[in-house]
Amino acid sequence: MEAIAGERRISYDARGLAEPDAVAPRIAEIDGEKARLDARDLTTRTINLELRRLLYEEGVKEVEVFNPMSRHSLGVGILTRCKITFHGSLGYFACGLIDGPEVHITGRVGWSACENMMSGVVVVEGNAGSLTGAALRGGDLVVKGRVGARTGIDQKGGTIITLGSAGSMTGFMMQRGRIIICGDVGPGLGDSMYDGTIYVAGKVRSLGIDCVPGEWTDADTELIERKFRIYGLGSPPEFQKFVCGKQLYNYDSLEPAERKLVI
Amino acid sequence: MTEQPHSHELAYSEPEKIKEIDAEFLAGHRFPYQEDISLVEDVDLLAATPGEDLNWLEDIHLLEEEGVPAVFDRYSNSFLRIYFPIPEGREDEIARKVLIKHLQSGNSYGIQLKEIHCKFPQPELGPWVEGSRTVGTDWQPPVLEGWEKPVGH
Repeated sequence: MEAIAGERRISYDARGLAEPDAVAPRIAEIDGEKARLDARDLTTRTINLELRRLLYEEGVKEVEVFNPMSRHSLGVGILTRCKITFHGSLGYFACGLIDGPEVHITGRVGWSACENMMSGVVVVEGNAGSLTGAALRGGDLVVKGRVGARTGIDQKGGTIITLGSAGSMTGFMMQRGRIIICGDVGPGLGDSMYDGTIYVAGKVRSLGIDCVPGEWTDADTELIERKFRIYGLGSPPEFQKFVCGKQLYNYDSLEPAERKLVI
Repeated sequence: MTEQPHSHELAYSEPEKIKEIDAEFLAGHRFPYQEDISLVEDVDLLAATPGEDLNWLEDIHLLEEEGVPAVFDRYSNSFLRIYFPIPEGREDEIARKVLIKHLQSGNSYGIQLKEIHCKFPQPELGPWVEGSRTVGTDWQPPVLEGWEKPVGH
């Protein structure tokens, strides 16, 4: 009976929202351009609404979120320059679809963190699940722990850095961008990648289809040293470089509209 | 003499004849910064991007569209052609500056679409312009005549 009553409480919304009538709770403490938000008693949707209210309506530039309690889909769709700190861990699809924010997550994140991120910086102090940076379009994603399988799947730009190891099929169907792995990586690295560059400091269990060792250039050294300097990651280890062998590469025959999908 | 249909009209009447969709086509005109390098020289790329380096602009390079140097605007899925001579060695820098000028000016077709179609509040001009107004605060789903909500909602 409770389930039926719950269904009746849901009203129709064309956007497919779970809480279509939710409003920003307006409980954050605002101090000039800074704000503090205790998310303990809030739902995912009200946390995200409160974040948008602060950033879009109140002119806040820096938000600290306490007690995120590993909720899923937090910090998604933020489309402005700002700084957000999550004190704790986040669930899956954290900070997806963002364009502009600089985010610091003091804990861990679940799968698909920063999925479809357009621009910005996300630093995760702990580990990240599978599909980290899926379809990443731009910006930097730094994971100081380990990352799971299929990290950087369908990546179309941006840079993913992990200080730890990465799981199987990392860089699967990668189309552009850069993945920097300071630890070991599982089997199937760069499987079916079209373009982009993968750097690995540890052992590679096996390469995927059409992923081959690449020639190191001064531009690679500059990139690695710059990213390590910016994020305070110390002295970079020695990396191997992997790129697409382009044996499966036939974009020239594609229609222009299809070609644009990978730019 | 029969007047040739405008390319916009052609796009609807005979879309198979449209072989390219670039920023000029979408806007219906060319922009000054496509023709004059002096209009983009003062664009501050680092200030326009998050973090301490070029961030997403690192993946923006000078490309070609129909043999003309061009930069791709991912926010409208179109090429922005560059008609002025580009100094050697500054290809990517100039491409990035033209793109940012285009976005900051609000001329990207994707920005114009936001005003009409976006369903959630967001800055009109994106993260490249500080203090941009918020659009999408009053989106209402379009309703077809005679349409009724699903039973039970």
